[in-house]
Amino acid sequence: MFVILGRVLSSLGVLVAVSIVLFTLVHAIPVSPARVVLGGDASEEDIAEFERDNGLDRPVIVQYLSWAGGVMKGDLGRSLIDNTVIAVTISQTLPVTLELVLWSFCLALVIAVPLGVLSAYHEDRWIDHLARVVATLGVSIPTFWLGLMLIAWGAVGLGWFPAGGYVPWSAGAKPHLLSMTLPSVSLGLYYVAIISRMTRSSVGDVLMADHVRVSRAMGLSRGRILIYVLRNALSPVVTVAAMSFGYMFGWALIVEQVFTIPGMSRALLNAIFRRDYLVIVNVVLVITAMFLVANLIADLLYRWLDPRTAR
Amino acid sequence: MTLSAVPASLRLPPWRALLLRPAGLTGTIIVAIVTVAALAAPLIATHDPIAVDLSRKLLPPGATHWLGTDQTGRDIFSRIVWGARPSLAVGLLAVLIGAAGGIMFGLTAAFARGWWEQVAMRIMDGLASIPLLIWAIAITGIVGIGPVRIGMWTFPNESKLILLIGLLYMPPLARVTYGSALLEVRADYVQARRLQGAGASAIMLGDVLPNCLSPVIVQATLLIAVGIVVEASLSFIGLGVEPPFPSWGGMLADARRYIFSGEWWTYIFPGLAISLTVIGFNLLGDGLRDILDPRKVSGSGRMVV
Repeated sequence: MFVILGRVLSSLGVLVAVSIVLFTLVHAIPVSPARVVLGGDASEEDIAEFERDNGLDRPVIVQYLSWAGGVMKGDLGRSLIDNTVIAVTISQTLPVTLELVLWSFCLALVIAVPLGVLSAYHEDRWIDHLARVVATLGVSIPTFWLGLMLIAWGAVGLGWFPAGGYVPWSAGAKPHLLSMTLPSVSLGLYYVAIISRMTRSSVGDVLMADHVRVSRAMGLSRGRILIYVLRNALSPVVTVAAMSFGYMFGWALIVEQVFTIPGMSRALLNAIFRRDYLVIVNVVLVITAMFLVANLIADLLYRWLDPRTAR
Repeated sequence: MTLSAVPASLRLPPWRALLLRPAGLTGTIIVAIVTVAALAAPLIATHDPIAVDLSRKLLPPGATHWLGTDQTGRDIFSRIVWGARPSLAVGLLAVLIGAAGGIMFGLTAAFARGWWEQVAMRIMDGLASIPLLIWAIAITGIVGIGPVRIGMWTFPNESKLILLIGLLYMPPLARVTYGSALLEVRADYVQARRLQGAGASAIMLGDVLPNCLSPVIVQATLLIAVGIVVEASLSFIGLGVEPPFPSWGGMLADARRYIFSGEWWTYIFPGLAISLTVIGFNLLGDGLRDILDPRKVSGSGRMVV
């Protein structure tokens, strides 16, 4: 129990440290955000007035604390450029990104785990070699190029899928799912590679264990043995899978750009090109938080599945 | 694996063993080609990579333009050759920074033990809990896109990426160094060197480090591949190498609209350049692992991004 509490606290600690680093970075830049917003020809008085109105003339620590206090209450502040409420921007874009990540995650698991188990069971046979080729290609082909090639093949060539854009659920399940297919595949392939290799190596280790040999000698059925093997081999796979879920948010931003999906990437890149720094800080913080939660779940699942590590 | 048969890889010098494996040989050849292209880009490129000539725009591959031209008439082959430079620069320099920091933390933690071990490894844990890609985007976003001027030097935009990726590469490299250094520190030869009166830093760098390098080299090779993908991805969304300078990711950003009009050479060749280069470093890394660290299943134990 204390271990879990400790892990939760350390994740929170990292999040606080991350937010301090982000805030410091913003204020370490010699150019005032006011200058960025108002443009190069704004007068000194305008700058001073803007800074006073937005509280930018206060000491950095005070600004940080007032912003952090707002975050606790779910108030992330307003954009300095167009005054939109940042929490609203995030609540509109996060579900889209989350859905993309979830589809890719399920796709990756459904393909990777059986592929890894099969290649461990048939070491050095054709399925093992195939899995190795898939894994090498998966970690090597950049998601965004894969996305472009899938558009060229599935949308322009065959015409089965839309070339981009986001069709909401309300427009019907089929068009919605079709619009999510190519992005999910491009985001998922890398993780098929990672998770299948982990499964292959973990199942391979367990297959060499004594208890498997004993079970075979006792004449247990293959299916029964497979269950025992999976139960023992699964904990590193679950850890990698849960961590992958966190990492997917990063690549989802790139995939969203390829398929022009209105998720977090649109909010973040708009903010970057407009130097809307408060939006950047909050979006990065939200995605880092997602990542830390995924890591925390990975860690807790690992302890739960493999009690030996808790000691 | 049976115990009686000594693996061939143990009898041959490592580089021979590497080149005898198809994967290792392919990886070595690809990496050599890309390195030569980057170093000798002015000699290999057939055209000026940033010379605009609208009268020759979107020409298909042919005798003068081997891989065709892009939307402003620039030679795609020459741009791919020059584009190897930022890719390799980010990949290699980030790994050098990561290796320097990672080895420093890992080695001293294993050597000093005590409080420094705790502090060093907790710093590495903290860095490891930062997602690389988001932060690469965030750094360019906050600091702003554009060259960095420090004193009389001007560094290109991608130098921010190199620093950040290098920093986040420290944890995996520190962990492999730490893991193998812990075993080495207890070995008899370290005790013997102490009795000979050798200083701590001499033992650390001269004796222990060379014995810990194998897993570091394997991991570093795989991380070069990761760095190249990250650079290409950021250049694709306009946060990496700045136009008009050639980069593989930037070329694909220019080419994406030609997917619909059929100028396939604009988006096939730069993508192949990235993918083949990354496959090369991955095969080389996996090949090195098979030889230097044969217990591991090839392809597992990568840093996930």
